[in-house]
Amino acid sequence: MARPFPYTYISCPCAETPTPDPSAKRTSRDLSSKKNAGQSAASESGEEGDEQAFDPRSPRANFSLYPPEQLLFCEDCHQIKCPRCITEEIVCWYCPNCLFETPSSMVRSEGNRCARNCFTCPVCTAPLAVTTLENTTESHAHQGPWILACGYCMWTTLDIGLKFDKPTNIRIQLSKIYENANGRKASKTVSGLKSSLSTLSSMSEQLPGPDEEGDDGSRNPKEQSQLDHNARFAALKTFYRNQIAETSASPTDPLGSDFGAIFSSPSALNRIMSIYTSSTLGGPYGAAAKKQKSKLPVMREALTASEGLKIPPPDAERFIIERVTSPDCGWDGLASMDQRAFQSPDARFVDDLRPLPVLLRTKRSKRCKSCKHILVKPEFKPQSTRFRIRLIALSYIPLSTLRPLVPSPYPGQLPSSTTSPSISAPSLDALEPSKPIQFLLTLKNHLFDPVNVTLATPSLTPGRVTSKITILCPQFELGANSDVWDEALQNATATADRSSRSGSGFEKVAEAGKVWDKGRNWTTVVLEVVPGTLPGSSPRPTLQLGGKKVHDARETSDKWENTSPLREDEDVIEIPIFVRLEWDSENQMIEQPMGKGQKPETIKRELAYWMVLGAGRIKSEDASL
Amino acid sequence: MTAAPIRSSMRQTQAAQQTTPSSPHTPQQQQRSLRSSFGGTASPVPSFRNEEDSVILEFGSRWLRAGFEGENSPMCVVGFGPEESRKAGDYRGWVRNREDDNIGHRPQFMKAEDWTRDLELWRMDIRDLDLGLVEDKIERAIREIYNKYLLTDAGSSRLVLVLPSIIPHPLLSTVLTTLFNRWRYPSISLLPSATMATAAAGLRSALVVDLGWEETIITGVYEYRELKIGRSIRAMRLLVQEMGKMLTKLANKNSHDKIPEDGVSVRLEYCEEVVCRLAWCKLNRENDVDSTRLDQDPAILSDRASGQVKQGSFPSGTVMISVPSPGDPNSSYMEVPLLSFAEPVERALFAAGFADCDLDDHDKPVQVLIYNTLLALPPDVRGSCMSRIIFTGGGSKIVGIRQRVMTDVESLVQKYGWSAIRGTSIDQQRQKLQELSINQSYRVQSQTASSPSHPSSARSSAEPSTQFAKGDEELDFVEQKLRRGNKDAKPFIQGVFRQVDSLGAWAGASLVTSLKIKGLVEIEREKYLQHGLAGASRDLDSHHHHVVDRRSGFNPSTSRPGGDRSSWTLGGWT
Repeated sequence: MARPFPYTYISCPCAETPTPDPSAKRTSRDLSSKKNAGQSAASESGEEGDEQAFDPRSPRANFSLYPPEQLLFCEDCHQIKCPRCITEEIVCWYCPNCLFETPSSMVRSEGNRCARNCFTCPVCTAPLAVTTLENTTESHAHQGPWILACGYCMWTTLDIGLKFDKPTNIRIQLSKIYENANGRKASKTVSGLKSSLSTLSSMSEQLPGPDEEGDDGSRNPKEQSQLDHNARFAALKTFYRNQIAETSASPTDPLGSDFGAIFSSPSALNRIMSIYTSSTLGGPYGAAAKKQKSKLPVMREALTASEGLKIPPPDAERFIIERVTSPDCGWDGLASMDQRAFQSPDARFVDDLRPLPVLLRTKRSKRCKSCKHILVKPEFKPQSTRFRIRLIALSYIPLSTLRPLVPSPYPGQLPSSTTSPSISAPSLDALEPSKPIQFLLTLKNHLFDPVNVTLATPSLTPGRVTSKITILCPQFELGANSDVWDEALQNATATADRSSRSGSGFEKVAEAGKVWDKGRNWTTVVLEVVPGTLPGSSPRPTLQLGGKKVHDARETSDKWENTSPLREDEDVIEIPIFVRLEWDSENQMIEQPMGKGQKPETIKRELAYWMVLGAGRIKSEDASL
Repeated sequence: MTAAPIRSSMRQTQAAQQTTPSSPHTPQQQQRSLRSSFGGTASPVPSFRNEEDSVILEFGSRWLRAGFEGENSPMCVVGFGPEESRKAGDYRGWVRNREDDNIGHRPQFMKAEDWTRDLELWRMDIRDLDLGLVEDKIERAIREIYNKYLLTDAGSSRLVLVLPSIIPHPLLSTVLTTLFNRWRYPSISLLPSATMATAAAGLRSALVVDLGWEETIITGVYEYRELKIGRSIRAMRLLVQEMGKMLTKLANKNSHDKIPEDGVSVRLEYCEEVVCRLAWCKLNRENDVDSTRLDQDPAILSDRASGQVKQGSFPSGTVMISVPSPGDPNSSYMEVPLLSFAEPVERALFAAGFADCDLDDHDKPVQVLIYNTLLALPPDVRGSCMSRIIFTGGGSKIVGIRQRVMTDVESLVQKYGWSAIRGTSIDQQRQKLQELSINQSYRVQSQTASSPSHPSSARSSAEPSTQFAKGDEELDFVEQKLRRGNKDAKPFIQGVFRQVDSLGAWAGASLVTSLKIKGLVEIEREKYLQHGLAGASRDLDSHHHHVVDRRSGFNPSTSRPGGDRSSWTLGGWT
């Protein structure tokens, strides 16, 4: 599910700069000039700077909004860092199933997958277990054939006719099984073709025209189609290598295989020239035939199946259709798109699916892209979950939480949302349109300095469904995160205070310009939201991409617009809030040499970003479930 | 350059039959076979990780394939669907049974065009395309590919992009700018997808039929050069939309609501699943003048007789298959005639039910498009391309489509010959000529196929169908000599319709890159960041102005020194 309401997203400031890479500043000027020159309109929409309000509904917003806990903070740049503005370096590779580390030299050769016994089910992606076939009670090693079995969907390798001799090194055994199967097929194909070629003497019969293919197929059925993807690729590669060697290597040209060196060698140039001169001067063939010996052959195309050529047999597709229609196949016998994703490209039926070795995973250290400062550095061992360095953004920016203001001063005003505090949450999934609701927005400071906060929000949320937003107190101060004991004491009183408040029903009314509540390092302000009404008729979604000026089109009655559903999540109230933080911090450069006693030199810091609060979902009229 | 050297080189190909190199040479580096996920080519020879291995990305309008050079299939295929463009931390795609689906609700209709829009990374019509969004999508996709599948540090190695050979410059610029700005790639090479598909089939010339998502693109490739490109919107997007409409009708069979003209109410994922599993194609056109005529043709009938015994009874319209019910895919099944899954294919790709005059240039059915593209090619190129037809793209996985397209194109050729002239008077003329037992179309064909410089084509076309044999069989003395000389050589097949299977553009690029063949379009970081695409030199010097795709191909005569170039070029992408 989407995040439960209310939620918070933070837009990384990197989304607002057209070139997200500040380290490439030397190039940014050039890039922008290039763009001005009309080469690229790429960042037209990205360049909407601070003047324009952030639109959480724009399709691009999905790529710049992150949950606060996924963001990092660079202490050098004093900036929030999202996954887009960091670079990553792999620390180690490991299998998430067996937690064995794979040395970096082996990762690629193992296809980025676990080389041991870890497999996932090709049908349902659950991990497969190695089990024995015989259900004997003795627990010794030689229990006979072993299989891989899925505990979730009961798929086993027996379904595709695979058994293993040992319970270990399944991957190697498996690849041997495949290799044997391929090798047999390949050799059969080659020998079969050779024999057929040698028996056929006249040229016409060698033509793989329709007739010949037909009876070729009947003689050794499915022979060609069985040279599978891997084998064909290998065959083609050898073929091309041979061709390159044949056409470019000459005894006098030791660097024949290297393409770059061809033209540096005079002999090669001569040879190429001779191709042109001989053929143009001496007629197409006469001279060429004479010069045969002095000249190297020119590359040709693959001609046989052993060279990787595959001419599909004419009735291959018919077999597939027949198989689809056969009663034991049906819908469930056909592999789904997800199942096919990592299988061989020819896999079509569930029977074609093979167990997949588990993909390896990596631990990565992360650096700021602009200053190369390390932001995250995990422990090297795969088993460890600790980090050596981890600069998460939440320890630098205030944590913001939103909750509905439960005890309504006038109970009649919000009938739907207020009966008891515990069921206020579900009401957020169905907010009454046009009924004002108040939220408490709490910001909690994690810095050791007091922070001045300025909040700004557009009075109407952007998009088709416009809700009215009012922040009753947009400017306030957060106290410093100084003393833990202090916090504990204050919290106790605060909660007691609050509970008494909510219990009694007595209370202060949310007033404009006044902070609702305040603690040691946190402040709560009131946010009033008037949910918009969902349009009964809606403009075309394409127009909606354009922005907010679609109200006129709303009234035009078209059956499309009447029936057109809301786009997904269009009924969610997402409040864009621009947060600006200002604080005086110690200058870190001079901090170390300074003594404790004297007041350190301070430096004004500023951080600004867009935050999106998901307040709730507006109830639609007809969804009276 | 005229065709003469090429033809002589084709001669040579016949001579060079053996696969073993004739001259002594240092043994080639043993092929580094990487174990794929199935360990197909696993060998005990340890293959060490080579940090220099290039990463190959193939961009389509929906999917991004990524992997390392020298591997036979991409490591992963990543889509750009709505689930991929959610906010970070929004996991609703993982919730299986969403109760907010339209179960119990009145079905909500969407316009078919908007319905499929969310799936795309880009479309070639960039008028209402948000390039910034494309940038975001590419950035996220590539970041995740590196982190989840490639498991190597992004930006450290060379990058090879496989792109369609015609792509709007703003899109190309967006892709390159994103890649260069986000990561520190030293250089990015571009390879054209059609040519790569040709290489992955082991061929040098081919007609690549790319049944893609947005467009069907037919490319005539001759000696690794793209000569002619035909495109049509009759592609997978249209098919999914058609299938959606069909399923919508099924879902609302019992309801009283009126179904909007172009409306779709079924889930897109479900519809795609249906297309992926069950879309199929009738192997020949029924109730059609062409096919009846084709069937009466004795030559074709005879070579069909071997494989298609059950021609009459198959595919029958009565076969039912039970599929998850379109209205409620998670809970109930429904019996649907199998034939109804072939109808959207007919409508979308073959324009069944449309008169020829209703079809505009951009929505020609596939078989007509292939025919037109072939027709536009020079005759000798046409001869070699028509016997090397490669199907690629997502649509090529539809069962039966290859054979169907081949049959239809063949029947078009039977009907019209290689001539663009249509009309009633022409038909009358043809009929008259036919009565005179000189079939105009066949003569046209045999003329193209058996011009004196192309005796091999005359040979090849002479065999499979008897009409072709009516063409003049006379050979010049050179040809006879050559024939004697190369008794055992396999002839260059030409002039017959033949389909060749390709491993796909990605595998072709992997193959080409692993052979250390440099792409002609290699964009270096510093140069690109200075001037962007405008920095590409446009003056095509005489050395390669005739080459559409100027990769330094396998043929040394088309390759260029790979040393440092002061200016870089966009090659075919200019």
